Amino acid sequence: MAAGAAGASKTYSFKVVLLGEGCVGKTSLVLRYCENKFNDKHLTTLQASFLTKKLNIGGKRVNLAIWDTAGQERFHALGPIYYRDSNGAILVYDITDEDSFQKVKNWVKELRKMLGNEISLCIVGNKIDLDKDRHVSVQETEAYAESVGAKHYHTSAKQNKGIEELFLDLCKRMIESAQADERAKGNGSSQSATARRGVQIIDDEPQAQSSGGCCTSG
Amino acid sequence: MSLKSERRGIHVDQSDLLCKKGCGFYGNLAWQGFCSKCWREEYQKGRQKQIQEDRELAERLQREEEEAYASSQGAQGTQPSLTFSKFEEKKTNEKTRKVTTVKKFFSSSSRTVPKKENQEAKAPSPSINRQVSIETDRVSKEFIEFLKSYQKAGHDVFKQCKICLEAMQQKREASIEEQSEYVQDFYQNTAEKLQLRWKMPSEKVEDVMDQIEKFIMTRSYKHVFCPETTDDEKKDLAVQRRIRALHWVTFQMLCVPVNEDIPEVSDMVVKAITDIIEMDSKRVPRDKLACITRCSKHIFNAIKITKNEPASADDFLPTLIYIVLKANPPRLQSNIQYITRFCNPSRLMTGEDGYYFTNLCCAMAFIEKLDAQSLNLSQEEFDRYMSGQASPKKQNAENWPPDACLGVKQMYKNLDLLSQLNERQERIVHEARKLEKDLIDWTDGVTKEVQDIVEKYPLDIKPKSQPLAAIDSENVENDKLPPPLQPQVYAG
Ligand SMILES: Nc1nc2c(ncn2[C@@H]2O[C@H](COP(=O)(O)OP(=O)(O)OP(=O)(O)O)[C@@H](O)[C@H]2O)c(=O)[nH]1
Ligand SMILES: [Mg+2]
Ligand SMILES: [Zn+2]
Repeated sequence: MAAGAAGASKTYSFKVVLLGEGCVGKTSLVLRYCENKFNDKHLTTLQASFLTKKLNIGGKRVNLAIWDTAGQERFHALGPIYYRDSNGAILVYDITDEDSFQKVKNWVKELRKMLGNEISLCIVGNKIDLDKDRHVSVQETEAYAESVGAKHYHTSAKQNKGIEELFLDLCKRMIESAQADERAKGNGSSQSATARRGVQIIDDEPQAQSSGGCCTSG
Repeated sequence: MSLKSERRGIHVDQSDLLCKKGCGFYGNLAWQGFCSKCWREEYQKGRQKQIQEDRELAERLQREEEEAYASSQGAQGTQPSLTFSKFEEKKTNEKTRKVTTVKKFFSSSSRTVPKKENQEAKAPSPSINRQVSIETDRVSKEFIEFLKSYQKAGHDVFKQCKICLEAMQQKREASIEEQSEYVQDFYQNTAEKLQLRWKMPSEKVEDVMDQIEKFIMTRSYKHVFCPETTDDEKKDLAVQRRIRALHWVTFQMLCVPVNEDIPEVSDMVVKAITDIIEMDSKRVPRDKLACITRCSKHIFNAIKITKNEPASADDFLPTLIYIVLKANPPRLQSNIQYITRFCNPSRLMTGEDGYYFTNLCCAMAFIEKLDAQSLNLSQEEFDRYMSGQASPKKQNAENWPPDACLGVKQMYKNLDLLSQLNERQERIVHEARKLEKDLIDWTDGVTKEVQDIVEKYPLDIKPKSQPLAAIDSENVENDKLPPPLQPQVYAG
């Protein structure tokens, strides 16, 4: 789903959704990454729900679009509308809050069910500056991440730790899977118009059965 | 505050939006206020003539153009097919000619369509046709002007667009999914070609793709927006009704983080409502998206002023839902479907506009499924509000901030009084009904009682004269008896 084509001047466009319980630090993470700010009352940013970042990774240009999602329970059913067509998902929990990790597990299950392995998953334990209050075991989370084909990261939005690495690593993985896609496309046939714009072809996606989308044509 | 925005009269009167024939569907300005169906019926007759006239005009223009071309180019002779390069050459000559060239270009393409197909096409009424064609002509001119700077690539794009439009015309009777698929493929292939073959940098490709979308969709809009083959129109009506039924939802129930008591905030809210209503009036998917984006920006401003921090999705979505409920934007479903089907996909998938659009989809899905739980209400409360038996909005005039306008306060006091009066009146009517029923029951009861008694003690009248006569004649001793008592008769 990366826009662009082969060649040196290629630009990838990736959509990444942020998921996680309230107050785990999703907004803080993305504001730290895109604006290098934390709890700044004089923030000039108008909104922190959609932010972009341009990267250059080994000569490959990447336009990253980071989508915040509404985390309140009553909006849970809207998840599929948010994460369809995403190339990556960042699932955040708070290392001092056991429940928030449980929520992450639920999201992983749902994403794998809906999107299969097309999406690169990152599980992020945030607030490591509060390690003394840690309530979630490192071994458990890392073992879990591995078991579901996700990568695990530790971050602190407050101290700006681990965040660059998280996004850089995610981008590399998304480039890899985009390249694998292209190769598959190249081998298959000249018909390049498939496997794009999930916005349109909803019917043959598993999420159609959720009947939660307002954009399904059914 | 929710009352405040109601008073602003942003709401478009629903009757203005409905079909003039009163069939219950939405009318459309482009169809002179009729719905698609009634409009087609209405213009069935004038259509045939119009097609004929159009064709004659196109042919005449073509002839004129070819003659002019031949005379200006001297011995070069006329080319049978019209090309973009010819177009370009001509444009430098004369301004007036540009217009005819554009017309000719498209009329010549429509001539390639088989006759039968053409007759079945939805031809607009003469006046509408002219009005619309002025706009489409303007868009075409701008498109050509824009492409000129891309030389060969521009030429190619124009050719491809022409093919696309022709194919769209052929597909008019096909399902909307097929048409959408076709346009999406066209976008995809064109973008790839621009990048690979013409080595265009991606920002330029975006630019060109925007112009292509504008050109193609301005021409196709009336055939593919809310098409008859779908139930978009029905769903529009359902959504509209649903939103109307939810008029009682307050910003507290949705946890909307905006304080409309701040004048700047309420100003932003009004602007957001206006923007989302405006969406329906645009023809190009991207222009519709721009309305959603403007609406979103106003929402962010409202949140930022209220909370003094950048809005997260948990602030934004509830506010957008609230705005949609307040605005009740016309043909919401149709607009969402149209954008989904015909917008350039790269915009929808990763772009900022796409994010806001996705949130609008979420808002609509939320509204469709909204129940007691999603507003933190009990089922009974929800049902009572839904049925109109109770309203959560009743505000106590005493609780208003001291700086609120006196007249407004008075008005709310009066409203309160009126609603109390209304309640009492309803009670009176209720009691009167009860009394009426009691009276009827009483009459029935009495009648029944009387009947029962009559049945229980039937009235037997025996013949009187015989036994009396016998007494008189046979029993002599009876002579000593006093005369029988005469019954006393009273008047009245
Ligand atoms: N100590 C510490 N606090 C953090 C960190 N990241 C975020 N916080 C705090 O956690 C609180 C919640 O952060 P947000 O970024 O608003 O969390 P969120 O996940 O966006 O929450 P919602 O928008 O409600 O879903 C704020 O008070 C932050 O200051 C961190 O790395 N360390
Ligand atoms: Mg947040
Ligand atoms: Zn009608």
